[in-house]
Amino acid sequence: MYYYQYFPLLEAFFEHLGAEVVLSAPTTKATLLTGGSRLVTDTCLPVKVFIGHCLSLVEKCDYIFVPSIRCTRYKTYYCSKFLGLPDLVRAAVPECPTILNIHMDIDRGLKDMGRSIHRLRKYFNDKSGDDLKDACSDGLKALSNYRKLMLTEQLTPPQALKRVAGAPQAHPKFTCQSGRKLRVLVIAHPYILYDDFINHHLVNYLHRSGCEVSVPEMLAHEEMGNAVVNTMGRIYWEYEDVLVGAAEVYSRENRDKIDGVIALTVFGCGPDSLMVDIARRRIQAKNIPFINMMLDEHVAEAGLITRLEAFLDMIQRKREKDYASGCTSPR
Amino acid sequence: MRLGVPHLGDVWIGVQAMARELDVELILPPSNSQRTLELGIKYSPETACLPFKLTLANMIETLEMGADTLFIPGGPGPCRFGYYNKVQKQILNEMGYHFEMVTQGRGLSYILKKLTNNAPMWRIVKAYMFGITKLNILEKLEREVQKVRPLEQKKGEANRIYQEAIIAVDNAASYSELRKLRRDFLKRLHSVAITKNSLPLKVGVTGEFYVLIDRFSNMDVEIELGKLGVEVRRAIFVSHLVSANPFSLLLGLREKDRAHKAARKYVSHHLGGDGWQSVGEKVLHDKDWDGIVHLEPFGCLPEIMARNIMPSVKEGPPVLNLIYDEHTSKVGMLSRLEAFVDMLRWQKRK
Repeated sequence: MYYYQYFPLLEAFFEHLGAEVVLSAPTTKATLLTGGSRLVTDTCLPVKVFIGHCLSLVEKCDYIFVPSIRCTRYKTYYCSKFLGLPDLVRAAVPECPTILNIHMDIDRGLKDMGRSIHRLRKYFNDKSGDDLKDACSDGLKALSNYRKLMLTEQLTPPQALKRVAGAPQAHPKFTCQSGRKLRVLVIAHPYILYDDFINHHLVNYLHRSGCEVSVPEMLAHEEMGNAVVNTMGRIYWEYEDVLVGAAEVYSRENRDKIDGVIALTVFGCGPDSLMVDIARRRIQAKNIPFINMMLDEHVAEAGLITRLEAFLDMIQRKREKDYASGCTSPR
Repeated sequence: MRLGVPHLGDVWIGVQAMARELDVELILPPSNSQRTLELGIKYSPETACLPFKLTLANMIETLEMGADTLFIPGGPGPCRFGYYNKVQKQILNEMGYHFEMVTQGRGLSYILKKLTNNAPMWRIVKAYMFGITKLNILEKLEREVQKVRPLEQKKGEANRIYQEAIIAVDNAASYSELRKLRRDFLKRLHSVAITKNSLPLKVGVTGEFYVLIDRFSNMDVEIELGKLGVEVRRAIFVSHLVSANPFSLLLGLREKDRAHKAARKYVSHHLGGDGWQSVGEKVLHDKDWDGIVHLEPFGCLPEIMARNIMPSVKEGPPVLNLIYDEHTSKVGMLSRLEAFVDMLRWQKRK
């Protein structure tokens, strides 16, 4: 679930410690089905997928790293499902290998977090814990490079990850079929937005139909965070800046105007049920079209595409109308 | 200032007592009903949880009645509850209401100052103690009612007494009056005619706090269990939320701490909300409860985690999950309860 946010950090961290990092394969239908069969039905989609990934790793590795994250910024919380992940894996996948677990809770101080990381040392034959410290700083360096890359070159996380892994400079250009150029903002949690199985290749589809896609990761976290604090008060959810903040920043007057906002949510996501509602209200007040696509395991791709097409046609027409009445400049 | 406070089970009795002591003009919404629910559904995001919808509707009702300040506490930790205030404020503003929202975001001293019209500290403490005493008495009575309910000969008598007690306790104005009420009502409960020589099943009720103590949203699950001849045990009471007994706090004697400790093996960290405790109750009451009814509003984050972890808990009695939202029907709940109780009886006889 943290792959697109923290993978460079974790990779650098474990490689410094001399471990071989085994990644699970990209999500497939089987991942979801096997994961879903272990959990109660109303658990949210990403958690089912996550358990599916854990199951696929059972035979392949000696240890499995599942952190439990409560907050990484002061008084800003992840959802309970993140918090209980290690316990959940233990309960739902009894056959899984030893779980490496760190508990991240900034509210209890950096020291507490350090101690929790320090506890990992017994798995790496590192008595003093110095290696761990170096590994941490290596990881953080990799993470900040990764974030900088996304910000400066306006890449999406999968593109940036490919670049980090040493892919050539140019990322594939999508051929424009219809010749229109709409700017669309897609807001969603990173694990939904960039998992092509969960979102049914939505970003690709948007590219193909000639949209310029903006994603929250192209903005600095501080900028989004400030947008939330200025309009709504203290950030409560970890992803609040990604969802509400990004919508706020992109819909500002002084920015290049976006033509529409697409929110991708999964059924049963607690924080989203309230956050997306706030984002919707704020965006619609500014007269920008908004659509909320709710995903679950029963969503058919054709249905999604139909709705998207209708939405894109609608914002296209709105743009032309606005242009005719002189509200916006042609692009 | 006219203060509006949404409902949370029977907490309103304590709040009302405090408001009277402090001369705060308090506007209580009418108790939760179908109208409340419909109001809530109309204005809430569709996938929000049941407590969100009900508290929002309560706020609308108090605003209709003329409140100009609203208070909603925000829970610590990762549950949607802490985020309610932001969304509700936005929704109510868009509906055109003008009010001030007081939440815990700006610190305890700010809340106290704001809500009590700058009353001196000793008066606040005094009012607080009085409110808590009322809640404690109701808790004592309710525990007694839970015991009498399955045995009473004329069904519904204990409930009627409890309803009277709520009104009487709410009206009481002094400690001596409260002491007398407590004695009288306990005596009345003890003198209810009961069927002898039957040993009722003991079923624990756990789960999400709001649904657990709000009789409207849990569709009187305790009363229905009582009718089926089951003695209900509940670990969470309103008064636990607000009272802090320093001794039990230090020694970890509170039910909550004991449950957390018991669940350590399965849940290593707080899950937010009451998830940790729900798992803990199952471990803790391995021997003394015959079954557990686990309540949650639809989509509750911590309780879904608890429900996922519970099956892996080796000890503990059988669990029945009841999930509540606006579409839950009482008949469906009843047949599930009946089947569950039948199963427990059958198991016990074996």
